[in-house]
Amino acid sequence: MNIANLSISEISNLYKNKELKPSEVYKEVFTNASLSESIIHAHLKLFQDEATEASKLSDERYAKGNPLSDIDGIPIAIKDNINLKNHETTCSSKMLSNYVSPYDATVITKLRNNGVVFTGKTNLDEFAMGSSTENSAFGPTKNPWNPEHVPGGSSGGSAAVVSVGSAIASLGSDTGGSIRQPASFCGVVGFKPTYGTVSRYGLVAFASSLDQIGPITNSVEDAKILYNSIKGHDPLDATSIKESTVEIPTDKNAKIGVIKELMEEGISDESKKEVEKTIKLLEENGNKVVEVSLPLTKMALSIYYLIAPAECSANLSRFDGVRYGIREAGATSYEMMENTRAEGFGEEVKKRILLGTYALSAGYYDAYYGQALKARSAITKDFENIFKEVDYLISPTTPTPAFKFGEKTENPLEMYMSDLCTIPANLAGIPAISIPTGLSKEDMPLSIQLMSPARTDSSLLEFSETIEKLLGFNQRTLLLEDMK
Amino acid sequence: MNMVPTIGIETHVELNTNSKMFCKCAVVETENPNESLCPTCLGLPGALPVPNLKAIESITMLALSANCAITKNGMFHRKNYFYPDLPKNYQISQFDLPVGVDGSIEIILNETKEIVEIERVHMEEDTGKSIHKGSGRIDSATSTLLDFNRSGVPLVEIVTKPVIKSSKEAVSYIEELRQLVIDLKISEGKLEKGNLRFDANISVAQEGDNELGVKVEIKNMNSLRSLEKAIDYEIKRQTKLIESNEVIIQETRHWDEDKEVTSSMRSKEGSADYRYFSDPDLPNMILSDEFIDNIKKTIPILPSEKRDKLSETGLSISESNYLSKSEEWIYDLFLKTQKITNDTKSTFNLITGELQGQLRKAGTEELPEWFTSERLSEIIKMINENKISFTSGKEILTNLIKNEIIPTKYAEDNNLIQDNDSDEIAKIVQNVIESNKEVVERIKDGEEKLVGFLVGQIIKSSKGNINPSIAKDLLLKEL
Repeated sequence: MNIANLSISEISNLYKNKELKPSEVYKEVFTNASLSESIIHAHLKLFQDEATEASKLSDERYAKGNPLSDIDGIPIAIKDNINLKNHETTCSSKMLSNYVSPYDATVITKLRNNGVVFTGKTNLDEFAMGSSTENSAFGPTKNPWNPEHVPGGSSGGSAAVVSVGSAIASLGSDTGGSIRQPASFCGVVGFKPTYGTVSRYGLVAFASSLDQIGPITNSVEDAKILYNSIKGHDPLDATSIKESTVEIPTDKNAKIGVIKELMEEGISDESKKEVEKTIKLLEENGNKVVEVSLPLTKMALSIYYLIAPAECSANLSRFDGVRYGIREAGATSYEMMENTRAEGFGEEVKKRILLGTYALSAGYYDAYYGQALKARSAITKDFENIFKEVDYLISPTTPTPAFKFGEKTENPLEMYMSDLCTIPANLAGIPAISIPTGLSKEDMPLSIQLMSPARTDSSLLEFSETIEKLLGFNQRTLLLEDMK
Repeated sequence: MNMVPTIGIETHVELNTNSKMFCKCAVVETENPNESLCPTCLGLPGALPVPNLKAIESITMLALSANCAITKNGMFHRKNYFYPDLPKNYQISQFDLPVGVDGSIEIILNETKEIVEIERVHMEEDTGKSIHKGSGRIDSATSTLLDFNRSGVPLVEIVTKPVIKSSKEAVSYIEELRQLVIDLKISEGKLEKGNLRFDANISVAQEGDNELGVKVEIKNMNSLRSLEKAIDYEIKRQTKLIESNEVIIQETRHWDEDKEVTSSMRSKEGSADYRYFSDPDLPNMILSDEFIDNIKKTIPILPSEKRDKLSETGLSISESNYLSKSEEWIYDLFLKTQKITNDTKSTFNLITGELQGQLRKAGTEELPEWFTSERLSEIIKMINENKISFTSGKEILTNLIKNEIIPTKYAEDNNLIQDNDSDEIAKIVQNVIESNKEVVERIKDGEEKLVGFLVGQIIKSSKGNINPSIAKDLLLKEL
């Protein structure tokens, strides 16, 4: 039995039946981590002692028949832009290389109260800005399916650890596809919930109006379990929404729209084929599938690259060397702040801060940021309208399977294009999930993306389980088998 | 040529909420730095703001009281600038959709009512405090200490239109605003504690010019006195420059309290671009009609309404203004007592003169429970009806503050009732005239002020039981 390939509910049942202990599962995933880390560098930090301790406490709870929840004793990895008390939160930035958080993010509090075992913090593109983890100040993460390929990003570490089995599940954050794109590249499930359903309190902000925490897991069911344990209104987050879910059909009556614009040029044949394959399965299942047009999705990238940098330019102002993080000396306070930021931020982060500062500047605001806001409302409206006709939207998650290291670092536009299909959901605040579908010619994972109206997260997950079953794809990376 | 100054004032009012604007940290008054902090008001990575409802109620109340139009669908903006005591390096403030716009506040200047138009009333968070060592300014400091206790404390900024014409009017405006926030109970309103902090925008133009002159902003005025002096100084400085055909630079100037001059802080040319944009961490600020109506119901009587009520009793505008800015109980005591005595002048004089004076001397600001308007009226009536002398009235008042007495009974028990029998007094007057013949001659030669001396002698002979005005009348008749 390969423990790391079991689902959360399977593990939970084995725990309850006393056939397996949390400490045994933790030992297994830790072994996987010790084997794989030297190759894929997915964790920035492993909490070996603390996690061992936590798993033993969980053992005792199950022994007494008092587990805290259905995820008690499940080893979960956390993206290193989510605060965990008394641990570093580096955001893969030199700026915060020495920063230790004095508090838990709300999602961490929830998981902690549920008895989860935190395995460690995972690698990301600096401050979640990137699509390959190549922007990490601590070196890139490699794709467990083939270390010559990127794992995607920014939650590349969180996707890789689930893929390789050094955690049962993980949390990532998604601003323009940062959960779904790496999940797609690593052959696992990545779910970005409706904006506001999961508290952002304690998530280091990149672009506040787009950021959303979500699960990366082996299966849709696992994603559902993890999502249910982190969601909920949070009084500490003013953008958090009150619990009110909307239900849409999840059976044969569900009507699916294929976004025409995301099946055109710029999307590889391999990626299109996965969508077509899924459509066929759905039609066989009795679902109605129609082509729909969302012309504004073609502008999504341009809108995103004004809104996200504008927000990040303010969000990252607080990193100035005054109160925490690294500090570079200077003759005056201002020189100190300048030197600190020059030294602490990487190239991509600086580029986006400059872009955002420019877009918000007097005389340019109306032409850039102001326009982007208007276009964003228009896109949101378009989605609302299209969802009057169909229940779900299907598209590829990414234009191509995982690319190789260095392939796109010289051409930022091409790198940005890898988020083409994922960005619209962030702009519209709607839920979206990436489900693995098969392998490419190069044996790299492929996937489809499914989107649904705001607050229909539960329906989306339920319907995704059906699709997952129809696809029947459950292949795993053989990285560890090859090593063992 | 005649120069006309134009002044606009920006005032920051620190609200008296228990907790800060965007977190649950207590607003503290302490010398110990960095005591009341959390991830949010310290700008730690990942922390988020949640608005303080109480503060929004307070600002809505102020905006309504200042006759503003309320923005029902408003929002918070981020104002971006770097400064070490601003933890996020942006301040959560408001930009084009402030809570209140286009209001007005009535002020009193000498004996006239003036209207100061209000441009906007908006909500924001305060910064921390910097203590620059080795120099007063950040650029030349050898080190800077930071205290974030104040970081995130709710502030209301009230901006007037450029309509104020003198330093006196500016002072009167601040006095009025201060009273308003105290009466609304939304701020302690203590200038010395920095509850109200104000900057002035001053320009000077030639009379008849359609355009305003170049605007100069003055900061660091910590009292009404410095506000008045700084404005006067700045008007003079700018007038001189214009008269000698020199250029006035648009800039921010610092008021130096010791030297009593303003000096340049920074030029506004190439001024900071704050890159305002709506704060994505905060939803729009929707103020529903129901919310606004509920706030309206809680607004107490305003200083201007108090003045109108006081004026109805016959008080002058400045007397009404004085009482409208006194403690609540003084205002109440006056109205109740005046109603009984029907004598505005004596009631006002006794309360604002003798009573307040005695309380000040006694170091108390409160009256005992038994000190009712009825008992005070008894004293005023006895004085007015010449039953007791003013001196006796004062004595009774002093006792009434200390002991539960009934003034009429006290006057009788202590032989304070005046002898108003004219025959008796006439005898005393005759005696005094006869024994002061020399003085009488001098009065007749024109030294009228000696009349007072003789009146004093008459009262002395009567052991204080003669009403001075009656004594004076009789004396003058005899002379």
